[in-house]
Amino acid sequence: MADGTRVDDQVADTLRKLAVVFADFEQRLEATPLIRKLTRGRFELADYQLFLINLRQQVKDGALWMSRAASNIGETHLELRSTLMRHAVTEHRDFRLLEADFVCSGGEVEVIRSAPKNVGSEAISAWMFHEASRPDPFGLLGAMFIIEGLGSIKAAPWGRLVKERLALPDEAVRFLLYHGENDAEHMREFEEMLRMVLPDAAVAERIVMTARVTARLYALQIEEIAA
Amino acid sequence: MSSGLLRDVFITGTGVFLPGDPVGVDTMEDFIGRIGGRSSAVGRRALRWNGVETRHYALTPDGRPLHSNASMTAAATKAALENAGLSIGQLGHLATATTQGDYIVPGHASAVHAELGAGPIEIASYQSVCASALMAAKGAWLQVLAGEAEVAASAAGEFSSRWFRPEFYEGTSLVDAKGRARVEADFLRFTLSDGAGAVVMEPRPRPDGLSLKVEWIDLTSLAGRFDPCMWAGSTFADRADMTSAWSHAGPVAAHAAGSVALVQDFELLKIVIRAWIGVWLEKVDSGRIVPDAVDHLLCHYSARSLRDEIVSVLKSTAAMIPEEKWFSNLPSVGNIGAASIWVMLDEFMRSGRARTGEKVLLIVPESGRAMVGFMMCEVV
Repeated sequence: MADGTRVDDQVADTLRKLAVVFADFEQRLEATPLIRKLTRGRFELADYQLFLINLRQQVKDGALWMSRAASNIGETHLELRSTLMRHAVTEHRDFRLLEADFVCSGGEVEVIRSAPKNVGSEAISAWMFHEASRPDPFGLLGAMFIIEGLGSIKAAPWGRLVKERLALPDEAVRFLLYHGENDAEHMREFEEMLRMVLPDAAVAERIVMTARVTARLYALQIEEIAA
Repeated sequence: MSSGLLRDVFITGTGVFLPGDPVGVDTMEDFIGRIGGRSSAVGRRALRWNGVETRHYALTPDGRPLHSNASMTAAATKAALENAGLSIGQLGHLATATTQGDYIVPGHASAVHAELGAGPIEIASYQSVCASALMAAKGAWLQVLAGEAEVAASAAGEFSSRWFRPEFYEGTSLVDAKGRARVEADFLRFTLSDGAGAVVMEPRPRPDGLSLKVEWIDLTSLAGRFDPCMWAGSTFADRADMTSAWSHAGPVAAHAAGSVALVQDFELLKIVIRAWIGVWLEKVDSGRIVPDAVDHLLCHYSARSLRDEIVSVLKSTAAMIPEEKWFSNLPSVGNIGAASIWVMLDEFMRSGRARTGEKVLLIVPESGRAMVGFMMCEVV
């Protein structure tokens, strides 16, 4: 830990398992046609716009499943419920930012607002709402680790690449660029949330499994973006 | 080993060959030369970043070779045999590792065998970047383990500096109109240096002094998920397309396209580092590695700053091996690619730190195309 304190073993164990899941997830993402195109191929404006169109679905649903999850957290974990609700409030308008980026990059707002979910987006969304509907859906912390990790580790480098390769102004890449900035704060907050529900072997296992499924479906969502 | 068919295997000798005198930061560019006659702009930054104070070059200050990769590797092998109290005639299997041998064909092991002047023996060439050392070690270990060899040597050598001379860059697309080399190529010129290291393996410990019992060697390649991250033989843009490799373009066109020099993709490196950490955490998680049970860690890393990044993740996941257990001689010998891990092990064994019963873990991450190797030993 940055402050020199030692985390509870089960928190560290769970973080380690989640880091392993994330490493596999990152490798899968790197191998998707769209990301390969961005990092090493001929990434074009149309690819970026498709990326935004397809991301919007999951971003919009994110705050919604988080709210639903919060509403299913029992009285014994009120603090976690509050945290999730605050989180949902912070993020529930993020998809508007994404739409603004799309418009700034030359897209029509109606196009992004009326686009259907792709196969992966459908799957991840259905999975999240399913999990969020269970009582005390603590497994979703694993899903948050994956999605927050994506935001803190991958979004900003992707944003910089998009900006550079397509010669776009900052105003067209704000969603990706902005996400990298809150990195350290989010990780600290995440560890606190883990401590609210651990130690508990069954919960720890569920968190890791939920992370695994979420990562797999998220990668599917990116795979499905034609590139 | 519980099976009667397999035997325990011990490292009974280590050896090193470092060419010339140590070269300090201020004079190193004299050895590798100045591209277009101008000092490198990225050199200072690279040197600050990697924390190397002195290194060795198998070149004179004006770029003339003093050795070959094969002769240095053979010298290290001889030193390891001597350290084990054995003669060249007792060597049965030679496994070599290098990033770039002196020849393109045949393999490095043939050249090293020739330099050794040994009689007929079995040989194997392993070629990759840093982790090729552990590929060769695994080969040698399995030979002894299976009863195929009584004395096997695993030797690694590098002669990187000759590839860093100006003629590898000048007149290619790696140098811009103002004569500046592309940072992805220039940076490595200040990262890698020359030398060789070797270990000798036998089915019993040495009669005097300490040996290392090899418990296991694990290698994980993630090449199926990544493009090359450090490579020579292709242009930057087309490196994943094997049909654009230098061998298809022909040597003259390949040189002009900048496909002959060694280059590194730094953006990809950051991602590959996380992939290495993933493999490490998986080993901790599965119990293959118990951090608290490791007494000494010898981890090859190219730069001090890379290590700092790794450490912060390991601490929050209880996978960290405390820094006082780390042993490194990177500041004094530099990054010698595949040879580094044996040069480090040799100095460690001579340092007097090893005590009977202690566990020594060797880790060699390789950026080449995302690979990482682990070797667990016990001091006996």
